[in-house]
Amino acid sequence: MSFKRREVLKAAGAGALAAALPFPLRAQSQTLKFGLAMPLTGSQSAYGKDQVQGAQFAVDDLNAKGGVQGRKLEMIVLDTQADPQVGINAVNRLISVEKVPVYVTAWSAVVKAVAPISNREKILELSVGASSPEVAQLGDYVYTTFPLADVDVTAVAQYAHDKLGKKNAAVLYINNDTGVDAAKVYKSAFEKAGGNVVVYEAYDPKATDYSGMLLKVRAANPDMVHIHGLITDIPQVIAQMRQLGLQQRVSTYSAGYNPNIIKQLGAAAEGLIVTSLAPGVNDRPQVKDYVERWKQKEGRVPNGLPYTQYLYDAPVMVAHMYEWLLKQKLPATGENMRKALLGVKRFDLPMTGVTEVDPSHRVQKPVYLLTVEKGAFVPLATVG
Amino acid sequence: MLDPAVLAQILWTGIATSSYMVLFTIAFALVLKVLKLWNFAQAGMMAIAFYAMYVAVNQWGLPTAAAIAFGLAATLAATLAYEVLGLRTLRARRSSSLLFFIFTLVCSEFTAYALTLVFGTEPVPLFPEILSPTRIVAGVAVSDWDLLAVGVTILLGAALALYLRFSRDGQFLLAVSDSAELAELYGIDARRAYLVALAAASVFACAGMYLYGSRTAVIPTAPLQLMLFAVIATLLGGMGSVLGGALAAVFLSLLQSYSVLVIPSQWQGLILYVFLFVTILFFPTGVRRLWNTSTRS
Repeated sequence: MSFKRREVLKAAGAGALAAALPFPLRAQSQTLKFGLAMPLTGSQSAYGKDQVQGAQFAVDDLNAKGGVQGRKLEMIVLDTQADPQVGINAVNRLISVEKVPVYVTAWSAVVKAVAPISNREKILELSVGASSPEVAQLGDYVYTTFPLADVDVTAVAQYAHDKLGKKNAAVLYINNDTGVDAAKVYKSAFEKAGGNVVVYEAYDPKATDYSGMLLKVRAANPDMVHIHGLITDIPQVIAQMRQLGLQQRVSTYSAGYNPNIIKQLGAAAEGLIVTSLAPGVNDRPQVKDYVERWKQKEGRVPNGLPYTQYLYDAPVMVAHMYEWLLKQKLPATGENMRKALLGVKRFDLPMTGVTEVDPSHRVQKPVYLLTVEKGAFVPLATVG
Repeated sequence: MLDPAVLAQILWTGIATSSYMVLFTIAFALVLKVLKLWNFAQAGMMAIAFYAMYVAVNQWGLPTAAAIAFGLAATLAATLAYEVLGLRTLRARRSSSLLFFIFTLVCSEFTAYALTLVFGTEPVPLFPEILSPTRIVAGVAVSDWDLLAVGVTILLGAALALYLRFSRDGQFLLAVSDSAELAELYGIDARRAYLVALAAASVFACAGMYLYGSRTAVIPTAPLQLMLFAVIATLLGGMGSVLGGALAAVFLSLLQSYSVLVIPSQWQGLILYVFLFVTILFFPTGVRRLWNTSTRS
């Protein structure tokens, strides 16, 4: 009996010691955790789920190759519904219950809402897909791996003026964090290029009838219309625009790079200009394999392909950061994760190429402009 | 913006887009008139109508007419179950108005959650393509959808008016709406009248969801949002007045449409809440009754 008691005491002592030891010295079998807070339900779930699937592919691939120095990556996924309040709950749980030192999230409203928690708790937040320019100013612990709206929206505005010769534009945008800031960027870039913004109008996120706003466009008669909304409302705005006899060329941003938009609009989608911030299947062989993998596993291409490419790359970045920590023999805290992000600085990523993190909390990537031609997206130009 | 063609376009588009709101308002006002019930469960029936038609079109590949028939059958079946299993039980227990009200809300929320579990939360339109052919008539863009929406609304509204005015069942509905107890003394089956009113409301809800869903994408909780408009229009038109509610729905739609002439588009939604606030506070019996009172005096 006394021997057994000693054994128990030994085991308990060893356990307590292991818990007290810094991270790198703990058992090698312990997983390397990170969080992923995305919309799994709600109106944006079709995109959120596919982005989670993209990240899951990467985690599977990394772990199949032995993980990071023999330790597996563990991704903890929680639902945000793309809603700031639900996002706050999810991030609180990731930090206080799951104890992750880093998490990935998206959607501008959520990224902004959870930023104060990250800064207060000193846990690294990686924004992967939110495009609001304000994301760059959310604090020391919030970094984006995705170019903000000022990159692709500026490119599309300049292209419309300089290459397409458009002089007067209408800017229609959803009245939320996604639309408001990006619309300002478009207006500023188009005017800076020498054009005039003749209509600058926001619409209610719950609206289903846009005819009043579109009649303002008709009265102003611009030669280009830029719409900055969500994928759920962009097709409806374009459909109602065409039904009111407005035939102007339409541009939008990366949310519009989605086959559903062509399916819903048919011929009315012709000429639509969209942006992509990730290379396509013809630009990078890994992307071709990735799309094939989707087709084999899910029988389709993902919703919002470029976004899912960034989500694939996010766990790869996290793996690089963990590797840096292990080399430096530093514990996995949010502060050290931030050091790792800035320490690695240049990430060569499989799906989106090189990403350099800079102190301005922004990343620069080439912008791929595409247009709808004969019912399919075709490359139009590459900017940057 | 004050170009006559633009004003005419706002008028036409406002009338066309008010169509489904008119249909939802008629459904709501009719049930309120006959059953004396604030029937928020109508949102659930609207959601059932939409998703039944959605399944018929997109999963079974049925033609439009068959899909509408299936949607209507599903809505009528749900309405029947709601009346027989729910409302009759509450009436038998002589439940309070508050309990009836809560029950209708619970039914609506329950249906929305159940449909969310089955269909998810991704917005889906009734048909894969949301665009309808358009022509320009005297400078005004008129789409096939506009014509269908206005035509269906006029047809169904006229049919209901004729039914209430000339049919025996319609007269019974009006009698029960005046006083159910008195009507029963004259041998009118009030329970049947309730069922008929709910069935008629289902027809309007189904037609409204067909029009709405063929123009825009729907999620299971969307009908509850649409119901708010119907409630405001019913309040404004005068509780118990189906025609008053329908006219108020057209008025509110046009007001929202014309408001873009003076305010930015994102403020359009606020107008409804302003009217709800003003109506509840200053015209609790509706503008129509106020007008009747002033003309009598």
